[in-house]
Amino acid sequence: MAAISDIAPSPTDRLGRARALHWALTAALLLTAVISLQVGATDVTLSAMLGKLAQGEPLTQMEHVVLWDIRLPRLVMGLLVGAALAVSGAAMQGLFRNPLADPGIVGVGAGAGLGAILAIVLGALLPAWLIDLTGNHLTPVAAFLGGWGSTLLLYRVSTRHGRTSVATMLLAGIALGALAGALSGILVYIADDRQLRDLTFWGLGSLAGASWAKVLTAGPMILLAVLTSLTLGRGLNGLALGEATAAHIGIDVQRMKSIAILAVAAATGAAVAVSGGIGFVGIVVPHLLRLASGPDHRPLILNSALLGAILLVLADVIARVVIAPAELPIGIVTAVLGAPVFLWILLKRRGLVEL
Amino acid sequence: MTVRADHIHVAYGQYQALQDVSLGAAPGEVTAIVGPNGSGKSTLLGAMTASLPYTGRVALNGRDITTLKPWELAAERAVLPQASRLAFPFTVLEVVRIGLQAGTAGDRPEVPMQALARVGLSSYAGRNFQDLSGGEAQRVMLARVLAQVWHPVEDGQPRWLLLDEPVSSLDIAHQLQVMQIARDFAQGGGGVIAVMHDLNLTALYADRVAVLCAGQCLAFGSPPEVLTDDTLSRAYGCTLRVSAPPPAGVPFILPHAATA
Repeated sequence: MAAISDIAPSPTDRLGRARALHWALTAALLLTAVISLQVGATDVTLSAMLGKLAQGEPLTQMEHVVLWDIRLPRLVMGLLVGAALAVSGAAMQGLFRNPLADPGIVGVGAGAGLGAILAIVLGALLPAWLIDLTGNHLTPVAAFLGGWGSTLLLYRVSTRHGRTSVATMLLAGIALGALAGALSGILVYIADDRQLRDLTFWGLGSLAGASWAKVLTAGPMILLAVLTSLTLGRGLNGLALGEATAAHIGIDVQRMKSIAILAVAAATGAAVAVSGGIGFVGIVVPHLLRLASGPDHRPLILNSALLGAILLVLADVIARVVIAPAELPIGIVTAVLGAPVFLWILLKRRGLVEL
Repeated sequence: MTVRADHIHVAYGQYQALQDVSLGAAPGEVTAIVGPNGSGKSTLLGAMTASLPYTGRVALNGRDITTLKPWELAAERAVLPQASRLAFPFTVLEVVRIGLQAGTAGDRPEVPMQALARVGLSSYAGRNFQDLSGGEAQRVMLARVLAQVWHPVEDGQPRWLLLDEPVSSLDIAHQLQVMQIARDFAQGGGGVIAVMHDLNLTALYADRVAVLCAGQCLAFGSPPEVLTDDTLSRAYGCTLRVSAPPPAGVPFILPHAATA
């Protein structure tokens, strides 16, 4: 990190710290991945399998299935979903100029969920050519469209003359969430038994349905959204100074906002489509990172992706082991861990949050 | 190479905030815009910075600003808003760095600290911007704006500072400091356009003054030409007398008498 401190000699070099965090979090991510592959409901462990491979012994059928068809796709999906949730939180907070904005809290997740449920329940009614065209991607695309519509509506309702009202945003989010929830409820009524089984895991959020097919479905959209978000850092920094000032320092504000909204919707939509509503990752991760290394969005987005992936995979490990061989929905774990942190943020910021 | 605003009209709904206002500012000069509350001063600056919809033409160094990209504008002029609220807990130095990255001195990491020194806030570099007082925040924002156009002239082109009430929440010493910074920028070959409330500071530091009233330009010229009993009385709607001392025994404090 010597090069960085050369560039920025200053009393508080938080940018250098944030860049050092890139490496620390990458290392932690690898460690987390190993833990995730090591533990589970069966006695199969990564270390035992690696031992076998080292001695040239073949893996049993069971070991092969556990590693390749269960734990590995689940790990990859956890990484993708965790990164998507945290990055969409960070981008949305930058866009709304408020550290309390989060797709899960302000109804964007519910909107994406409605899109996904629509696709599952009514997808068969679409023209055949459209079904052929979208294939496995119908559900995530519908979730993306639901999330996009919700984000646009929310931004339109809560932003006047470049200023976003926190109170309006949260209240509009409650209304949006309630509306999406009600419409989803109607769809659940008309769903058949097979569709109902598909829907049950949505409410709480889970990685239990992880498969390579789902990874391939959601992965490209999440990667695209995360990579796009990485380019938003300077624009979101400018936006923190206000919309007019952002324009004055050379940012194409309308374009940047449109891209941010698309990225938030894509990341949220893809994550919701494969894992349901997993809350609090998007609000807790960026907040912890801002405490650790400052609010500069250029390193914040990448660090959010890394820490979000780490935390979600760890939460999934907890969900799998606490009541093994059964497992908790991961949404319960993230809520139990994340909701108190959210309340703590509110407590610390009391008086600063202008409603 | 000037900033020219020609025949600017701005309407807020039915209300005509500016009607056919024209203004030219030259590099090397401080051009002040004065007038009573609601006369359209900040609206005029808003039109000149393309912050709000207007009809008419605004040209920056000879080019219509609507044909320039945001980053091209940012390289030629910096804008100080009236008040700034920050959404996240950036430090003072981080805020000034955001300005540096917007300009053409982005490869000079020493500029932000120099800009902070210029506004007398070197020791504030590590402070949280959100904890500053209104006057301190305003000076930090001035440092950010200075970092954006650190060289008043670049490639033979003047660069511009557009300041919206830069001294509104400052004490008299810092008012003088900030006006001196504007003066120095102009002396370095750059141009300054400032919306001003304080007529004495305007008289002291401005080379040209535009007096706005009810969305129209009442007078435009040098301070002695414009700051007259008649013009000011008409603009502000009360009888004013220029250079008239108060009755004996009442203290008065003018910036003109200040020495560092």
